[in-house]
Amino acid sequence: MIKYPRACVCGSVLMLFAAILCLAADGGLDPQVLLKPLGKDWPTYNGDYSGKRYSSLAQINQTNVRKLTLRWILQAQSVGIKSAPLMVDGRLYFTTPDNVWAADARTGEIIWHYYRESQGDHIGNRGVGMYHDWLYFETPDCHLICLNAKDGKVRWNIELADPKLGYFSTMAPLIIRDHVIVGVSGDVTDIPGFLESVRPEDGKVEWRWNTEPGVGEPGSETWPRSGDAILHGGGMTWMTGTYDPGLNQLYWGIGNPNPVLNGKIRPGENLYTCSIVSLNPDTGKLNWHFQVSPHDTHDWDATQTPVIFDDEYQGVHRKLLAQASRNGYFFVLDRTTGEHILTKPFIYTDWAKGIDSRGEPVPNPEKEPTPDGTLVSPGSDGATNWMAPSFDPETKLFYVSARRLWSIFYMTAEGKPEGWAGRDRNLWANSVVEAIDYQTGDIRWKHEIGDGEGSAGMLTTAGKLLFTADNSDNLLALDPATGETLWHVNLGGKMLGAPTTYELDGKQYLLTPTSNVILAWGLPEE
Amino acid sequence: MRLIFGLLVMAVWAAGQGHQATPLPRQQPTEDPAAVERGQALFKSSCGFCHGDDATGARAPDLLRSPVVLRDDGGNLLGPTIRNGRPDKGMPSFTTMKDDQIAAIVAFLHHQANLALHSNRVARDYPLARLLTGNAQAGKAYFDGAGGCSGCHSVTGDLAHIAKKYSPIELQQHMVYPSGNDVSKTATVTLKDGTEYRGKVVHQDEFNIGLMCDDGWYRSFRADEVKISEKDPLEAHRELMRKYTDADIHNLFAYLESLK
Repeated sequence: MIKYPRACVCGSVLMLFAAILCLAADGGLDPQVLLKPLGKDWPTYNGDYSGKRYSSLAQINQTNVRKLTLRWILQAQSVGIKSAPLMVDGRLYFTTPDNVWAADARTGEIIWHYYRESQGDHIGNRGVGMYHDWLYFETPDCHLICLNAKDGKVRWNIELADPKLGYFSTMAPLIIRDHVIVGVSGDVTDIPGFLESVRPEDGKVEWRWNTEPGVGEPGSETWPRSGDAILHGGGMTWMTGTYDPGLNQLYWGIGNPNPVLNGKIRPGENLYTCSIVSLNPDTGKLNWHFQVSPHDTHDWDATQTPVIFDDEYQGVHRKLLAQASRNGYFFVLDRTTGEHILTKPFIYTDWAKGIDSRGEPVPNPEKEPTPDGTLVSPGSDGATNWMAPSFDPETKLFYVSARRLWSIFYMTAEGKPEGWAGRDRNLWANSVVEAIDYQTGDIRWKHEIGDGEGSAGMLTTAGKLLFTADNSDNLLALDPATGETLWHVNLGGKMLGAPTTYELDGKQYLLTPTSNVILAWGLPEE
Repeated sequence: MRLIFGLLVMAVWAAGQGHQATPLPRQQPTEDPAAVERGQALFKSSCGFCHGDDATGARAPDLLRSPVVLRDDGGNLLGPTIRNGRPDKGMPSFTTMKDDQIAAIVAFLHHQANLALHSNRVARDYPLARLLTGNAQAGKAYFDGAGGCSGCHSVTGDLAHIAKKYSPIELQQHMVYPSGNDVSKTATVTLKDGTEYRGKVVHQDEFNIGLMCDDGWYRSFRADEVKISEKDPLEAHRELMRKYTDADIHNLFAYLESLK
């Protein structure tokens, strides 16, 4: 049952405050602003289009990070916050499943709260996209809702896919000029994934790119010719992608195939599941693809951020794309053409027989799930997962929250596999922040963050700082060159999103979503 | 100051936990087992030839992936489809089928779809027959030889009757990587003045270590102010995970499963 949406404005004082801020917020976020590198705001899920999560702000830096103090705390009265709060014109916009909040970025006071109860998987929500004065929010029942950023009122509400078939959604929409790019989630039923561009004005679909090719189209040869496997092949678009305005290419990581752990009825590489793809954002046409896990049978979606940066590679200036993937391998590609440059594991893995001439790992069939169990590293939770990575152009290192994770994979299906058709049971997990040299794939340094599975993303800044959290709820400020701890504080809760930063009134803020609380940090007043 | 701040953060965090929105559970229709059984027989005789006896498809589509089944609520879509057929797709009508027969088929189809929806569960009672594929003799040889298990364990000592203690899947899991109090990491912490504390490690991060000491007291120490000497009984199990073949695991399991 879907209840009618409601927005509540908290208290008359706040209303007045909101009204004042609304005047200041007139005009909202011009998509042209997104074409620039990340500045004082934090206007998209990854800050900017590159996915680097590198901020040029340096007021908080190595010389003063030990003085960081709390500016404010915001209690969201909800489940854990996995979204990246946008910061535009002095306002924050953040989410949990079913909920969107606007808050004052200077004080943490809530300006409005939108709540809409829904059916569907409430696993997490990564945030909103913003276009002028409008916010775009995906829901557990796979709706896309457009809200007025000023007051949280609904402008329109459309269904992206039918939740009764098993669809839900988690990602933060990505705004590219006048396109709202949206994706879908869900893998307990055998449903096909897609990415769509809709019009910001009314949600009308401009194009849809299906993550499985149509029967007879290029790529369809990687699925069985007979049967319905290709029509039910999974490949969800769980996470927000990246964009290169110069090349006008949209980059997206695609989810795992279905049935998830049993590939017997889908022999072949199963494109474009577990792939990094480049699309034209105006037409939805595929430019190129690179498959990081051909014929996946371990739930290793390739939805981790495809981070883009330009740099010298072996003496040649190149436009690069890097992903530390859930399957335990780090990949570097030329993002103009998709040409493979480098593949190297960033944790111990035992599931591939080698790397083929295309740079893709070759899965060892003996490591597929079996009824009597197959021991595999990493387990299905992955060598990394949703945790945002970061690339620091100063150190030229790629930072990832990595896991050493062993699991036994069981195939449960007796007849035709459907849905997951199996599952793994975790044995042991231990986590580490790794700094990867993209030139060689070598791990430059490791910083242990404890037993269990890491859940926090990364932020690097021009203040020569790397912020993340360990598995004991400590917020860490590390030296990005060496991994040495420069400062820490116990947050008292788990960080499920990633730190972000912005500057207002000449003051730099560091935001740390912690459980269901947002903590804002800054330097003490002079 | 840091302590006060930490408490404040924890208090705010804890306050929020009490007001968490309760996520709605995924719909889990529970069908009447008798109806499911009746429906299975009816489905097999009337529908199985085309849709497969388990409804996963044959000449006609897999119904567990069918939008009609997934969108159906108590037969509101399936009932008319069965009764009227889908002539455009070659499905005959079943006009003589009674309401209770259709209801039983609907129950069976929802039951099958629900099984698929929950096929990602490996329960504690996972059947022994699926796990018992190894050779117990080879497992014994591995235990006494290449695996190095007998260096720490004995089948007449700590592992005596081990198969009675755990369900089969738990035994396999514990065999590869045990958990529980008896395998906890221990540490000796030495203070600058030479005082030593020994106990079970109950907290450890980069900055602090907390021990449940042998004298029954919990003590915590700043990691940079003491010397820490750790002993982890599971280290050998972690090392073995890189060495095992899956056949080794299945053989070893067959051997331990014989220790009733």
